[in-house]
Amino acid sequence: MSDQPSVRFKLNNSELWGGLIGLALGIFVIRSGLKLKLGTIHDPGSGFVLFYTGILMCVFAAAIIVASLTEGGPTFGTRWKDARWTKPVIVIVCLTVFAVALEWAGFLLSSITLVLLLMRLIDPVRWPLAVPISILVPTGMWWLLKHGLGILLPSGIFGIG
Amino acid sequence: MFQRSHLKIALAAAAMLVSAAAGAQDYPTKPITLIVPWPAGGSTDISMRAIAERASKELGQPIAVDNKAGGGGTVGPATMAASAKPDGYTIAQIPITVFRLPLMQEVSWDPAKDFSYIVHLTGYTFGVTTSAEGPFKTWKDVIDYAKANPGKVTYATPGTGTSLHVGMEQIAAMAGIKLTQVPFKGGAETNAAVLGQHTMLQADSTGWKPLVDAGKLRLLMVWTAVRSPNYPDAPTLKELGYPMVYDSPFGIAGPKGMDPKIVAKLHDAFKKAVEDPAVIATLAKYDMVPNYKNTEDYKKFVVEVTDSERKVIDSLGLAKK
Amino acid sequence: MDTLLNVAHGFGVALAPINLLYCFIGVFIGTLVGVLPGIGPISAMSLLLPVTLSGTPESGIIMMAGIYYGSMYGGSTTSILVNIPGEAASVVTCLDGHQMAKQGRAGPALGISAFGSFIAGTFALVALMLVAPKLASVAIAFGPAEYFSLMVLGLVVLTFLTQGSMAKALLMACIGVVLGLIGLDSITAQPRLTFGRMELIDGIGLVPVVMGLFGVAEVLLNTEQVIKRDIINAKITHLLPSREDWKASAGPMGRGTILGFFLGILPGGGAVVASFASYALEKRLSKTPQRFGNGAIEGVAGPEAANNAAAGGAFIPLMTLGIPPNVVMALLLGAFVIHGLQPGPLMITQNPGLFWGIIASMYIGNLMLLVLNLPMIGMWVQLLKLPYNILFPLIILFTIIGVYCSSNNVFDVYVMIAFGVIGYFMRKLGYEPAPLVLAFVLGPMMENNLRKSLILSQGDLSTFVTRPISAVCLAFAVVLLVAPLLPALRRKREMVALDEGA
Repeated sequence: MSDQPSVRFKLNNSELWGGLIGLALGIFVIRSGLKLKLGTIHDPGSGFVLFYTGILMCVFAAAIIVASLTEGGPTFGTRWKDARWTKPVIVIVCLTVFAVALEWAGFLLSSITLVLLLMRLIDPVRWPLAVPISILVPTGMWWLLKHGLGILLPSGIFGIG
Repeated sequence: MFQRSHLKIALAAAAMLVSAAAGAQDYPTKPITLIVPWPAGGSTDISMRAIAERASKELGQPIAVDNKAGGGGTVGPATMAASAKPDGYTIAQIPITVFRLPLMQEVSWDPAKDFSYIVHLTGYTFGVTTSAEGPFKTWKDVIDYAKANPGKVTYATPGTGTSLHVGMEQIAAMAGIKLTQVPFKGGAETNAAVLGQHTMLQADSTGWKPLVDAGKLRLLMVWTAVRSPNYPDAPTLKELGYPMVYDSPFGIAGPKGMDPKIVAKLHDAFKKAVEDPAVIATLAKYDMVPNYKNTEDYKKFVVEVTDSERKVIDSLGLAKK
Repeated sequence: MDTLLNVAHGFGVALAPINLLYCFIGVFIGTLVGVLPGIGPISAMSLLLPVTLSGTPESGIIMMAGIYYGSMYGGSTTSILVNIPGEAASVVTCLDGHQMAKQGRAGPALGISAFGSFIAGTFALVALMLVAPKLASVAIAFGPAEYFSLMVLGLVVLTFLTQGSMAKALLMACIGVVLGLIGLDSITAQPRLTFGRMELIDGIGLVPVVMGLFGVAEVLLNTEQVIKRDIINAKITHLLPSREDWKASAGPMGRGTILGFFLGILPGGGAVVASFASYALEKRLSKTPQRFGNGAIEGVAGPEAANNAAAGGAFIPLMTLGIPPNVVMALLLGAFVIHGLQPGPLMITQNPGLFWGIIASMYIGNLMLLVLNLPMIGMWVQLLKLPYNILFPLIILFTIIGVYCSSNNVFDVYVMIAFGVIGYFMRKLGYEPAPLVLAFVLGPMMENNLRKSLILSQGDLSTFVTRPISAVCLAFAVVLLVAPLLPALRRKREMVALDEGA
């Protein structure tokens, strides 16, 4: 990390934000623990461990925040330097659409589309290669699971698979 | 082109209707999941596996047992009631705690509404054991020790609100002693706890059998009406002066809203299973006997049990505030 | 002498042609389900249980056992090749195994894990034959207080050794505990942190969390890189471990085997703790700890041996006490009972043919697995020669199939996507996923045992220090937590940290 520019009291200090998120989560866990009742030390309740874990989370998050302020930390800009941030976004969008479509369209149709899209959208694979792979691999997996292990994947409204 | 796609949609819709209607006729077309709300390897788990194995032959599809232990056997049924589709592919063993726990605390399910009861199957033989290396030789030793050391006697149960917990508290109330319950998830865990002398006693169903047979555990009492032919030396609750019998009968149910035809198919398959001599032999290993009730009788039984449990819970002061 | 006679008798049973066939089918299916991440031995064994009932008890149980240890072999394959751990115990194999693959050393990594598994498996079997009845007491020596302290030690060991920033690692461990507690409380059946969502009543599954944090996050990180197109070095030097690799791995394998065997005896969590503890131990003992996380073969050999030795150790409580230490063993127990046998203290004497037959078949099965797996290494390594733009959609496909098959639920696919995104940001900000996963597995056990031990001790916290086993575990944990405060050790830890950050 030493070659990266580090900042202290700046809003784009990524370490600071990591710590703040941890702190917020910790406070949320403490509140949930209190709501679920702590019980007594003789018979700890449902919220007992959550409450104390939440306190620990706040302590560790506070330590991260203190370190980010005293020692500084890399900015978001340096963390994402040279990164094509659109590519992960595309992958996530494709996956989410796939999950929505899975039970409706069935495993075969949706996964063939997914594999084909991923091959073409990130670092395009030549069509003559992308099409056969995206058809053969999901079909092969589906066949192996169905006939080899007796595991059924969703067939969708078209009843394919 | 346009028309063709319309046609396709219409066909697909028709296909869906047909497949929905065919659902009950063809059922089952894929493996069925049976939730057993106890850890794998206990008496419930093994007896349910034996029953399910036989029933799957009737149904022509495998039945996969899924162990979802916790909450005295309520975590499994509660999960099913909350998230499973009533298509007959997810069913659960329903222990008596499903009816009892709602009387004791806030829960996420309503036993009267959230389940489609299918068939009643069998019940347990309960007993109280202690480590063979421990100081207790008879139940009287336990009472004497507990009187001298109130609250120091610990007993492992398969969960808060189970018949074992309620039963032990009833015994303690009658004997005028105070015991401390330690809730585990089921027989496999309570066996280890009492063997390692982490708790002084174990109150559980017959999962302790092989260990008692091998002389590693000592059986102090059984909770059946008459002495078990396998353990003629172990006194019953009645003989010890507690006029009670506990057997915690159980059956199976699915989520609410199941097609009656599917319920009937499952009922028939499980009825055949508990009538099979091989299954009866497996049950007998754990001192269990079939206790068949059909769907209607099971529903009536649920109402009766809930009423009688309410009285017991009230009298012990365990009812929810 | 008796033992030898019994062993000979056992081999007589195991070498019967029909039993050999069942054994082979078992290990073959086991390898298949082991390689597919997410599809564990449990689903395969539940579905095949009825099939085994048609034959004799010996054949049926030999086949079931074959599936179990067969899947243990296959489990590390995807961890090494594409950074997807198929189960909690292989998470640790990802750390160095995948780094080795990136450096073109997938062959030696796979090879050492296969040989490590074989050697550990063999040792565990010999130990099982000789000392099984004597070790039964180990399984029951651990009560709630001891388990709690062991879980604490497990968490502390990991956080100390896999992370640069201790605060970050501990924060991740806490988050893992909280995530593990989502769902119905195992003691009172109250819903916790479910936000009114029915899908969360059952808690979050381990498979989608692990697939998201490791598999999907890794893909996201790789796709955004422009320069490093060849994520995995295509130049493959060796297919099998070299002499130096063997030299480096011998010690870790031996220690991992012993650690794994003893921790495997404990019901619940033994195998997972064993693999992590072995990794931590090797890193601590190593003269060059900075190599760990950068493709140190010791970091693959130790945990893999521990993992497989634990699988052998797990038979002890089942065979001697009838107490199954995990779900797979419970399935075996079910198979025994349906065949009319009752595992327990009396089984070895009442059914010596069965007991020794199974042990002998496991030995033969291990040998079959080695023969089956070694030629496959070449095939797996070829797979890595695929360009990344073809490989990564297939990796995504594998994770989806694994997640969906483990629960038959689309909700879990969403969980995996969410954890993929979380894992991506975690890695970007320098938070490691391994402590989170371990805490996720151990957290619920830790909570349950803490509550039980407090009930048992009537609220007296001193129970954790007055019970000897518990006290030893906690003492180790404290030493590990306090150690970094000492300046001399601090320097060493920063060296470790530097290497993690790289």
